[in-house]
Amino acid sequence: MNRSLPFEIFRYAAILSLVALSLVPTLWMASMAFKPIAEWSATGADLTWWPKSPTLDNFRFLFGESSSELIVALDRTAGQPILSSLLSAVFGTLIAMISGTSAAYGLSRFGSGGNLPLALIQLRIFPPMAVMIPVMIMWAFLGLIDTWYGLALVYGIVTMPFAFWLMKTFFDDMPREIEDAALVEGCSRLRVFWKITLPMMRPALASSALFVFILNWSDYLIALLLTTRDWVTIPVYMASLSSSMTGQLYGAKAALGLIAAIPPVILGIAIQKHLVRGLTFGALKQ
Amino acid sequence: MTAIHLENLSKSFGAFTALKGMNLDIADGEFVALLGPSGCGKSTTMNMISGLLEPSEGSIRFGERDMRGVPMGRRGVGFVFQNYAIFTHMSVYDNLAYGLKATGVAKAERDRRVKDMAEFLHLTPMLNKPSAGLSVNILQRLAIGRSAIMEPAIFLLDEPLSNVDAAFRAVMRTELKHLQRQFRQTMVYVTHDQLEAMTMADRIAVMDHGKLLQVGTPIDVYNNPSNVFVAGFLGSPGMNLLKGMIVRTDLGMRADLGDAGLSAPLSSAQEKSVSDGQAIVYGFRPEHCQLTGDDGIRLPVTFVERIGARTILHLGNKGASIKGVFDNDVVARSGEIVTLSIDHANIRLFDAGSGDAIVEAR
Amino acid sequence: MTVAALDTRTEAMEHEDARDSRKLGFWLTLPAQLLVLFIAVFPILMQVYISLTDWSPLDGIDWWQAHQLWNTFANYTDLLEDNRFWSALGRTALVMAICVPCEFLLGLGLAILFVDNFPGRRFLYSVLLVPMMVVPAVAGYMFFMLFQSGGPVNDILSFFTGSPVRIAWLSDPDLALFAVIVSDIWQWTPLMFLILLAGLVGVPEDQLRAATLLGASWTTRFITIVLPRMKTIIIIALAIRVIENFKVFDNFYIMTGGGPGVATETISIYIYKVTQQELIWGYVAAVALVILITLSVVSAYAIKRMSRSRELSR
Repeated sequence: MNRSLPFEIFRYAAILSLVALSLVPTLWMASMAFKPIAEWSATGADLTWWPKSPTLDNFRFLFGESSSELIVALDRTAGQPILSSLLSAVFGTLIAMISGTSAAYGLSRFGSGGNLPLALIQLRIFPPMAVMIPVMIMWAFLGLIDTWYGLALVYGIVTMPFAFWLMKTFFDDMPREIEDAALVEGCSRLRVFWKITLPMMRPALASSALFVFILNWSDYLIALLLTTRDWVTIPVYMASLSSSMTGQLYGAKAALGLIAAIPPVILGIAIQKHLVRGLTFGALKQ
Repeated sequence: MTAIHLENLSKSFGAFTALKGMNLDIADGEFVALLGPSGCGKSTTMNMISGLLEPSEGSIRFGERDMRGVPMGRRGVGFVFQNYAIFTHMSVYDNLAYGLKATGVAKAERDRRVKDMAEFLHLTPMLNKPSAGLSVNILQRLAIGRSAIMEPAIFLLDEPLSNVDAAFRAVMRTELKHLQRQFRQTMVYVTHDQLEAMTMADRIAVMDHGKLLQVGTPIDVYNNPSNVFVAGFLGSPGMNLLKGMIVRTDLGMRADLGDAGLSAPLSSAQEKSVSDGQAIVYGFRPEHCQLTGDDGIRLPVTFVERIGARTILHLGNKGASIKGVFDNDVVARSGEIVTLSIDHANIRLFDAGSGDAIVEAR
Repeated sequence: MTVAALDTRTEAMEHEDARDSRKLGFWLTLPAQLLVLFIAVFPILMQVYISLTDWSPLDGIDWWQAHQLWNTFANYTDLLEDNRFWSALGRTALVMAICVPCEFLLGLGLAILFVDNFPGRRFLYSVLLVPMMVVPAVAGYMFFMLFQSGGPVNDILSFFTGSPVRIAWLSDPDLALFAVIVSDIWQWTPLMFLILLAGLVGVPEDQLRAATLLGASWTTRFITIVLPRMKTIIIIALAIRVIENFKVFDNFYIMTGGGPGVATETISIYIYKVTQQELIWGYVAAVALVILITLSVVSAYAIKRMSRSRELSR
């Protein structure tokens, strides 16, 4: 509407400076990940914005290769935590998607579920910290502490509301005539759901699953409470990457942070057009 | 009230030319309809008059004032949108008062003018109702009132009847024309519906493919189309257009219509403006022909369309397709062969190459 | 429901179909219901029980025998006098009162700049969303590095002031709070931007043009057309951020651990610390329960009001 030249200049200046601000922290971490140990904590005049002698040592160190400069070696490599993050996030996503999708279909088509929608919103509103005490007790009782499946189960329940609401809006958007036509042909309701609705919903299922995966992958607090050693996830493991001898292992942490940050950023950009729907619980469809 | 002068007005969007060299003078208080199929450039023209688009070339003047660079809020133009663009989150009163409020008219004055306008448009009973959910004729009046209250010199209407069902359209047409008479403003009306243009406008400007083809009173444009497109576009059904050639015979110049199997005589004025061997398009209105027992073109009936008051016969063979409008009691059946006589006083000739009407020499 | 012409089913079949549908609906929603029961209903009952005792995982008493340490409502009366709890609650509110408006205004400003097309819009839009996708714990670590006394923030300040700046951001109570707030704003402004832009794009163009033609200035249009049209969306965006901000833990805990002292201790960090360090779980259960009940009541009321006003506006 307002296309005067000064406005255009202002627009670009404002946007570019905010883009720069939003990128600096990520870029700093990326730069840190490739710095040799000598540059990690260089300050003042020596502070390097860009690694002077870029190296992959930090990544090698994470996966157990001892470095000539770092006298410490890791008692555990980053491999197991990465596996833990993956397993718990993937299976958590499966649990959330299966239970959430079927419940969403039940509500969208048959009005089943009673108070479920409200319960799921409230579940999302509660701070996880406030419901975790009994869960910790239960998990200890069931022997699920420090297992990837115990973690996956909690993830599945915590992110199920998102799967539910997202899929519900997708089901609501789907024209019913297609299902009705199949019903008239004599298919059972379950068969219609399985053979017609779900295959049609494949893109919606994929974006919802990716969205839920991002949420699970991003968790820190639940893993902090429910894992102790063998199955700690990336963020929990990251905090342990410091020792009294070396202090903070800046470079190694940054390298691991980069590994943790890349998947959700890529997936998030891939499902960009459904982000608003997901984040607003389906209240808003972009 | 202001006259509008469009001079050599052109607009291109990148490589696409939406409007090319348009010249049109609209007199003070005149109601002009821009008529054409979608994509003909009529909306582009209107958007340039309103100030939403800047012309690529040429000028727009309101009276003596050049409008280049004048932002749309300061042009004194009232605009009625296709969907009326009513502020549905406000009451009827607030809709009417919107422009006055935005331009800082004092409250007492504002109130008086809103009430006057509401009275004038019969909106008083619903003044305090929310504007969402009102019926479409009330929305139209509200949209017009909301613009008219600012006393704009020029009123632009962008297909305001296109969302209304056919039965209601007639009512709205009459109402609109009535309002225009009362406001006495210069009005430019964009439409693709010839019936709206014919019934309401003082003058019609027919456009196609970014070009202004003809301007004139509805009857003039209907009777004397300046080219093949206008001839075919106006009228329902449009003018019959048959390809043919001029041949000189013992009886003077005649139009030989080849496939249609007719050699038609020309008026003396027409004879003077054509030459032997010229490729032409021979046009006559569907109402300017009769079924006859005598001489004429013998054509099979392909379809009988009875529309109530009249009956339209679709006639034709491989080379020619003719529609004729007759009384509703005409006896004809599909497949039957009829003889058609064309009213020779009312034929129009067009040059087959350029499509332009052949102007009769006097 | 079905095309009338094709619908040859008898009433009895119709009845059977309705029953089948209900049955299928029940089975489809069952897994979700069970999971909710499993993580919400059962644990909350357990929480009520434990909150009435002095139970701690250290005592060697199994949790179902916690009644041996029954203390009736002592935990709840203790809560009233727990200054650390109330100050953590107040701090959470303060953080929220700063973060949410800042994120809202920045997000709205950005959304306004992005509303019409310009070269590079799609690309810059994607780039601006990046902070929101970064794992919050990793974001915490990023800002931990940035705010080191020898880190880039001080380096930039030195560049502008001309003399070396060595501020210990994370060891000073006020500056530490500032630093964690900056990290929150950095991460969540994109979310506001995303939602508000979706709302802004949804404002009907014709209405804005109509208002312009009626002589309304940009500001008038914004106040009289854009904001009222975006009302619901603004409420949703603010509600989401208020809820999420109340839960804030990851980046704060990683940057400062709630310190120095309790300077950045939010309600989540407070509960975590009492759980992990002081291990008085009976008391923590009481604290958590009070928060849960308060939130349930408030949210149920808010949801009810919102869905009612949505129905009305339809």
